[in-house]
Amino acid sequence: MTEPVTPTLLYLDNVTVSFDGFRALNALSLAIDHAEMRAIIGPNGAGKTTMMDVITGKTRPNEGSALFEGMHDLTSLDEAAIAELGIGRKFQTPTVFDMHTVEDNVLLALKDDRRPFSALFSRRTASERERVDALLERVRLTAHRRRKAGELSHGQKQWLEIGMLLAQEPKLLLVDEPAAGMTDQETADTADLLRDIAKTRAVVVVEHDMTFVRDLDVKVTCLHEGSVLAEGPLDVVSANERVIEVYLGR
Amino acid sequence: MKTQSLLDRQAVIVLSLLGLAAVLVPVLNVMTAPGSALHISDHLVPLLGKYLSFALLALSVDLIWGFCGILSLGHGAFFALGGYAMGMYLMRQIGPRGVYADPILPDFMVFLNWKDLPWFWYGFDWFPYAAIMVLLVPGALAFVFGWFAFRSRVTGVYLSIITQAMTFALMLAFFRNDMGFGGNNGLTDFKEILGFPLQSESTRIVLFVLSAVALAAGYLLCRWIVTSKLGKVLVAVRDAESRTRFLGYRVEHYKLAVFTVSAMLAGLAGALYVPQVGIINPGEFAPANSIEVVIWVAVGGRGTLAGAILGALVVNAGKTWFTGALPEFWLFALGGLFVFVTLLMPRGILGTAQDAWTRARARLPSRSAPNALPHAAE
Amino acid sequence: MISLRNILQAFVLLLGMATCAYAGPYEDALPKFAADSYSDTEAALGAVAGSGHPLSLSVVEALRDGRLLAANGQIFIREPSGNLLNAVTGQAFGPAPQNLKAVRINNRVRRAVEAAMGGLTLLSSDAGARMDAARAVFRSRDAAALPTLQQAIAKETHADVKQALESARAAILLNQADVSPTDRLAAIASLRSRGDQEAVALLSTLPAGAPPEVAEAASQAAAAIRSRLELWNAAQNVWYGISLGSVLLLAAIGLAITFGTMGVINMAHGEMVMIGAYTTFVVQELIRAYAPGMFGASLFIALPLAFLVAGSIGVLIERTVIRFLYGRPLETLLATWGLSLILQQTVRTIFGPTNREVGTPAWMSGALEVGSLSLTYNRVAIVVFAATVFVTLLLVLRYTSLGLYVRAVTQNRRMAGSMGIRTNRIDALAFGLGSGVAGIAGVALSQIDNVSPNLGQSYIIDSFMVVVFGGVGNLWGTLVGAMTLGVANKLLEPYAGAVLGKIVLLIAIILFIQRRPRGLFALKGRAVEA
Ligand SMILES: Nc1ncnc2c1ncn2[C@@H]1O[C@H](COP(=O)(O)OP(=O)(O)OP(=O)(O)O)[C@@H](O)[C@H]1O
Ligand SMILES: [Mg+2]
Repeated sequence: MTEPVTPTLLYLDNVTVSFDGFRALNALSLAIDHAEMRAIIGPNGAGKTTMMDVITGKTRPNEGSALFEGMHDLTSLDEAAIAELGIGRKFQTPTVFDMHTVEDNVLLALKDDRRPFSALFSRRTASERERVDALLERVRLTAHRRRKAGELSHGQKQWLEIGMLLAQEPKLLLVDEPAAGMTDQETADTADLLRDIAKTRAVVVVEHDMTFVRDLDVKVTCLHEGSVLAEGPLDVVSANERVIEVYLGR
Repeated sequence: MKTQSLLDRQAVIVLSLLGLAAVLVPVLNVMTAPGSALHISDHLVPLLGKYLSFALLALSVDLIWGFCGILSLGHGAFFALGGYAMGMYLMRQIGPRGVYADPILPDFMVFLNWKDLPWFWYGFDWFPYAAIMVLLVPGALAFVFGWFAFRSRVTGVYLSIITQAMTFALMLAFFRNDMGFGGNNGLTDFKEILGFPLQSESTRIVLFVLSAVALAAGYLLCRWIVTSKLGKVLVAVRDAESRTRFLGYRVEHYKLAVFTVSAMLAGLAGALYVPQVGIINPGEFAPANSIEVVIWVAVGGRGTLAGAILGALVVNAGKTWFTGALPEFWLFALGGLFVFVTLLMPRGILGTAQDAWTRARARLPSRSAPNALPHAAE
Repeated sequence: MISLRNILQAFVLLLGMATCAYAGPYEDALPKFAADSYSDTEAALGAVAGSGHPLSLSVVEALRDGRLLAANGQIFIREPSGNLLNAVTGQAFGPAPQNLKAVRINNRVRRAVEAAMGGLTLLSSDAGARMDAARAVFRSRDAAALPTLQQAIAKETHADVKQALESARAAILLNQADVSPTDRLAAIASLRSRGDQEAVALLSTLPAGAPPEVAEAASQAAAAIRSRLELWNAAQNVWYGISLGSVLLLAAIGLAITFGTMGVINMAHGEMVMIGAYTTFVVQELIRAYAPGMFGASLFIALPLAFLVAGSIGVLIERTVIRFLYGRPLETLLATWGLSLILQQTVRTIFGPTNREVGTPAWMSGALEVGSLSLTYNRVAIVVFAATVFVTLLLVLRYTSLGLYVRAVTQNRRMAGSMGIRTNRIDALAFGLGSGVAGIAGVALSQIDNVSPNLGQSYIIDSFMVVVFGGVGNLWGTLVGAMTLGVANKLLEPYAGAVLGKIVLLIAIILFIQRRPRGLFALKGRAVEA
């Protein structure tokens, strides 16, 4: 393999995505360090989800580059390859496998050989079982492990999806609006969980809930119309005139 | 922890019933007197054998549709290709006993004034080769077709429509005399298989038993696939394809693998069908046939495997009865069945029964529920 | 025993010989036909043709058609009606002699016959006959006809006939070694302006020993004609393609509405077409029975009726079956397939399984000639009709409120619903519209296809190919899809044959869908991905 071009974990440079002329991302540049947690804020349609689409290979940028670990060109890989590199994603609307049990959902996400043949011959090992147990415990779903994921509440699904993310053991987690539709207590718990995770991995969180962002207490990037408007500690960003104007309101 | 074992209660029932049939049908055919109520007549044996081959075909469709959400409207093509491979072997077995008594060329080639056997007919006089082709040809077609289709993420109704186009194109091709498969008339007038005369009672019984064995083996294979982690991934693909991708699974590889296996099963079914029916012609490629298979699966219960077998048997028995007793009404009945099942019994016979069972169980102390299908799985 | 008949024959023979005694060249020549030798026959033919005798044309015609008979040295003409005439007198002849034998001809004689025919009728007063004669001479290139030809050309007033006469003369001149090169070049020019396959044949079989400039000019002219013919041929194929494309467009456009708006795969769509065709049949039967004079208008009466019948069946289907299956396209596909079986069998039960005869009004028969193109009126009518339907639908979808709602529902069902559009109603209406359009397509298709319960089946796969190829939810896509497939099909046909051409096309579409899984004109955006 080639030498890393940059020391950062994720490096977006000058990324532009346009849909029929409409620029969802406009020369966006962003760098995330190893084991860094970053909160992304910005008004609706700012391009936050689109940015995650680019990172995970769902959307191909028209211009610009996206490098992971300084050497993997994300714009030329597909979703599965990117996931295998160690980028996990939680979607804005929680998507889990409704017909599988909670535990099978986690099991499917466990880091393992992803090829069909090994799946056919794979046996569940004791260590796998332990990992599933630990993960379920961590996302507080042990009691629901045999229920179908489709039967869970919205918040439980969010947590299950975070659990699946962890099961993948990614180096970078992209978490889109994890607190949406949660009670205050659940929101606070989610913030705790994410902070905990961020001790060992890089996490990018998109969120509109400012209390939640404050709870996270990390560097904040504000997107607007597809590019970075402001970046820095939350207090600095929220004092920015433009940010107040387009997003926070007076 | 809920583990799905290879041999759960349903599997045990299916296998024992198949075993029972494999024993009982020959016994009732040979040991009882023709007049007796229990007697299975000589013409009934190959008919039942035909049903079993259809059941295997239905199983192959259920594997991809029920568990992976791929609705193939062209599985009849793989069935027919397997059938043609077997038909070519049977054709070569005729040897000089054909009408034109040519030792090498089948009658239709002599009739068309062909001088040499086309290259793709080579080897088909040797049973092992033909047997391999029965699996290989449908498998290879499915692999190539699937490789293109799944790689470019053709899904849903689009995939259904192009599978239909595939079988339609094959039908047109096989209708052509120049293709070298007997054109319109297809392959027929078979004499014997492996030296045993096809008309004889014992050969028919053996073919029936073989069909039962093949069906049991096919069922076990499907069970193995769907109870493994592979099966779980397939269901995940069915219910949330892109989510599965973001977990790092190469969805196209999974689909391709299971599609190819399914096509091979369909080919095997076709190979069992042909010697028992005595003919294979391009009509087997008709898109309508493939769609009918889907309804067998839907009637029995999509995504249950056993349901596919049940559906194939029930619908085909119904078809035999109708076409004998009320021929004009068969299409009404079949059409009505399509509408009825999709509207009112989306989970099919077996699924509905399972639901009822689960509900009854729910009143008792809880046990695990069967792996049910979503109502809107696409 | 000598029968009465034999005596009679002997008598007639005597009589015939008696007439010979003071006969002209015609009468002299006739007996030679009885010699059963090709050269004698040819000689006799020449003499008869040159005799100017009123019966000579009948004799030559009879010879050509194998109706010139000989028995006992006497020659008879069997009229097409079966009567036997004495060739000498032209009188009916009593009981046929037993040993009557047709005078045989070979190809050489046949050519001579053609030439003689040409010569004989070149001066006929009937323009049609002159035309035929000119063509006959053109084919036979018999130099003997040249003087008559010159005479005929001088007299001719009809432009078409005159051209035919001139090209006949050119054909003769071209093949004659003793004609001056200038005349032959003029002949070549004349043939070049004629410009058909026969001219090419003539120009490319120049007799050996022609002067080089003549040979050169001839081959140039032949090449020019050939490339012109190829062009016309391609144009003709494109026309066939456009007319096939119109048929496909008619069959598929209703599907584009139902598939495009509601995402409903309506496998019973073909049956709506079939029902439209049967409506036409019923309308025509009623007209035949009660108002035969209105037959010419039958199609115009059938159009609204077919729309109504198929449309109401469509609404009925939507209300009773399809609305329970929204969001489940694969189930819809199966249910509508079941419906298609039921509809087919219903029609089969009512009208029988065989083809029904649907008549073509008189105004639709005949053909429009454009250059070398022949555009049959029924095809022209279908192209025009398809265009009308297309434009009407386009306008309906663009300018009516139904259209607005339908487009709203197409783009975002949930949003449209929450904005107060009654998506249920729109679904039913749109489905009815799609089915109704299929019905009127059936009226058109009844003119070019067999009206049987299977009519719809034969169009359903093609229609889906069109829609899938063109892209869902866009009428322009359907138009482009239909025309592309139609023209490609017809352009492939001469090379690959009809069946292989179709197979090639199916494979091409399968491959195309791999490149563009959502067709040529795909809707974009997040709504589609969901
Ligand atoms: N596939 C697509 N086709 C067309 N437009 C798109 C597509 N995906 C995104 N967009 C547009 O790009 C813009 C950015 O969308 P995006 O979802 O990234 O915003 P966001 O910042 O995540 O907003 P929110 O906070 O509401 O989730 C939006 O205007 C959206 O309409
Ligand atoms: Mg978003």
